[in-house]
Amino acid sequence: MERVKTGIPGLDEMLQGGFVPQTANLIEGAPGTGKTTLGMQFIHHGIVACGEPGLILTFEEFPQQYYRDSANFGWDFRHMEQEGKLRIVMTSPEVSKADLEQVGGRIEKLVEEIGARRILVDSLSHFERLSENSAHLRAIVYGFVNALKREGLTAVLTRENAALLGETEETDDAIAFLVDSYTLLRYVEIESSIHKALLVLKMRGSNHDKGIRQFEITSRGIEVRAPFEGREGIMSGSPRRMVDSFVQAFVRR
Amino acid sequence: MEDRGREPDLTSRLMADMNPELLDFLQKKVNSFVKWDLIRFFHDNPHTTDTADNIARYAGRSVETIRTELGELTQDGVLDENQLGEMVVYSLAPDPKTRELLQQFVRASDDRQFRVKAIYHIIRGTRQ
Repeated sequence: MERVKTGIPGLDEMLQGGFVPQTANLIEGAPGTGKTTLGMQFIHHGIVACGEPGLILTFEEFPQQYYRDSANFGWDFRHMEQEGKLRIVMTSPEVSKADLEQVGGRIEKLVEEIGARRILVDSLSHFERLSENSAHLRAIVYGFVNALKREGLTAVLTRENAALLGETEETDDAIAFLVDSYTLLRYVEIESSIHKALLVLKMRGSNHDKGIRQFEITSRGIEVRAPFEGREGIMSGSPRRMVDSFVQAFVRR
Repeated sequence: MEDRGREPDLTSRLMADMNPELLDFLQKKVNSFVKWDLIRFFHDNPHTTDTADNIARYAGRSVETIRTELGELTQDGVLDENQLGEMVVYSLAPDPKTRELLQQFVRASDDRQFRVKAIYHIIRGTRQ
């Protein structure tokens, strides 16, 4: 099956080669876990390694922020925009949604103009202010995601998760059902040190690695590494060594 | 001894070395600090299409402050105003000449000397 490679060492292997083309892929995590970096790396890899121009739709940051952040990894987004391989569009969820619902809208024109194949939407959390009704919100996001697919784009959608460590709050998570893949980025505390963990929770229409992997944000971007060995409860944020759990469960005191 | 009576006024002297096209752009289209902010905003976000409320939020201004200025920039051909569903949205006009002037203006305003002249002109213009 054809795949859309993220270019992130380790992640493409977890995804059996990359995302499925023309799918919506949710990346969720706490602030600073690397959601935007992952999205930028996906866009950058598409442009430089796959000849696939990209769009960044931002509801929060100015394009300058992306120029600066990408430059930290040696990716020249400003130059890519000048070359017509990238467009960074700051807008609002309500305008982008309405725009995608009409024929010949601005986003459609930008997709045509540069031949975009990939999109980063940063972040989907901003849609939550459009409706407090979860069924209505689900309909809005469903329409938006489908419009991106209609444009032939493979999308990375980021979403904030307020919980830094430990269990996340119970929410009516309609959006997770709408996307084709769902990846969680988490902070994990191990022996008084913070590590980062990545888990691909679901991937529609494809097998994937179910392991919880460590990852680092390096000077070259995100690198996904080996699974956490000999520990359990990783996604709780405070994993225990498996031997401790074994002792706790089976050894009488 | 210098004959001060024959000297051009301060504005003329300040503007004397300014590119005439830029001077015209400044006098006819920028002419307020809010517009200056909006022009810089659209220069930094050339692909933005958004409502007055959202643009006000991004630009750190109140919507009441910017609504008239957005309308005037539209009349002057710097911005486009369109109906998108029930929303009125603004975006940078596609005219290459206007975009070039806007680019020149923002680049020039990185220079302190130019900024001083432009600020003087705007203050003078708003007093008239």
